[in-house]
Amino acid sequence: MPEPVIASVGASPLGRTDLPGRDLFSVALAEAFDGLPDPADLVEAVYVGNQSESYEHQIMHGTLLAEWAGLRYVPAERVEGCAAAGALALRHAVKDVRNGEHEAVLACGVEKMTSAGTSGATDALSAAFDRAIEQRSGVTAPSQYALLAQRYLHETDATERDLAEIAVKNHANAARNPRAQFPEEIDVATVLESDPVAPPLKLFDCAPVGDGAAAVLVTTAELAADLDRPQVRVAGSGASANNIAVAERDMTDIAGARIAAETAYEEANIDATAVDIAEVHDAFTVCEALLAEAVGFAPPGTGYQSHRAPAERADGWTDVQLSPSGGLKARGHPIGATGILQALEAYEQLTGAAGDRAVEGAETALLLNEGGVADAVTVGHVLTTAEAR
Amino acid sequence: MTDNLDATDPRTLPGFFDALADGTLLGGVCTDCEQVLLPPRPACYACGSRAVDVEPQAREGQVFSYTAVHTPPPGFAADAPYTIAVVELADGGRLLGRVAADYADVAIGDSVELTVRELTAAEREVALDYEVDWPVHVFEPR
Ligand SMILES: [Zn+2]
Repeated sequence: MPEPVIASVGASPLGRTDLPGRDLFSVALAEAFDGLPDPADLVEAVYVGNQSESYEHQIMHGTLLAEWAGLRYVPAERVEGCAAAGALALRHAVKDVRNGEHEAVLACGVEKMTSAGTSGATDALSAAFDRAIEQRSGVTAPSQYALLAQRYLHETDATERDLAEIAVKNHANAARNPRAQFPEEIDVATVLESDPVAPPLKLFDCAPVGDGAAAVLVTTAELAADLDRPQVRVAGSGASANNIAVAERDMTDIAGARIAAETAYEEANIDATAVDIAEVHDAFTVCEALLAEAVGFAPPGTGYQSHRAPAERADGWTDVQLSPSGGLKARGHPIGATGILQALEAYEQLTGAAGDRAVEGAETALLLNEGGVADAVTVGHVLTTAEAR
Repeated sequence: MTDNLDATDPRTLPGFFDALADGTLLGGVCTDCEQVLLPPRPACYACGSRAVDVEPQAREGQVFSYTAVHTPPPGFAADAPYTIAVVELADGGRLLGRVAADYADVAIGDSVELTVRELTAAEREVALDYEVDWPVHVFEPR
């Protein structure tokens, strides 16, 4: 079976930009193909992660972005799974290369979230929740995650201050990431005193609205070597859907995330202790705590210690470093592009291209991308250095 | 599979909301694993069985988790901030809904009772054609 690798990455600026989605994609693609043959000479298929047509009144992103890349008559499609769309696109590319169907597949993501203001984004994101009961009750993405946070604070020793510390840590990481939407350090008081959005979550517990596009080229190891590109192995991939309604799930044991991660670990023939860095879906601070427990980094009830140095965490924690990019919280969260941005961070970390934010000795990364609230859909990938083979 | 669903069947949304408009909260109950499904649906998510009975559910329950929406979707702007909870009902199902109380007056474990009302004018504006006559449930503190 051919071994899929990531051979190149690129991204647009993140945040409030003056470019529409297709142009953000062009910027990301230009970076990804710098020094490579043109996409038309390499790419055999395209998958595009994209959350919503309500931002630009545009679907058909497979067709559109393939065309803007100079590709014609290739299979190309948009993949939808709210904020997990990017990792779902990556997963499709990985499977195409693994099963021998293609040698080079473009996995990308794009979202133009700032086109209709905060209320437009709030409305578009609410479509990820059950229409019959949840949407008609007026839920929002922050309120859905606040229900998890309230429950987590009730069941564990975690406090709102602990959640704030996660935001502080991720902003500190982002301050060393030139791609970050918010490359500024903040303090705990800034988080705790920020406006309530959905208590116990406050503004600085929430990832920002922002524009962005990202692209990764997935190829066989042989092709990446022929292209003389640094390569990162995609050693495992798992995905799992859980109920759409948050009320009908375990709200602190994020089972779908555990299953997606365990599937990816199993394919990679590792366990959680082997993971050096993880880009998890910290759309809200509480997510990093919940996911650290779900994927096996932290014993139940201690995930909120993710902001601490490894030696200061509870017994049973691994030495993993979470969200070295700054995470969704501070690197940015352009919904459909987020899963691809997670892969980009792991690629840079594992190929020695992460500059000031490099995690020393990192050889194995877990990516965990979620859509809807929590594990409504989760995608996990394990990436390793070529040397870790 | 022997399902022959139409819009009068409470395992469809029109059937469920018709009963709710009359004040009856119907749940699916899996005959294989006893999982309660709110609203009822053709298959049990817990075990995969399609042997799902439809039974009236207790309207009383306790707050399992709660929050308040300060940044509402456009159709709900006039109501904000409003309180939302996940309620564990006495018959075992869990259901999300609005709570007719300020956030500061709610706590996990509080007793509440499900009530039903028609859509407000603002809610009607953002409703789909087929949703206009579907009621909304609200939990009242007891
Ligand atoms: Zn069952």
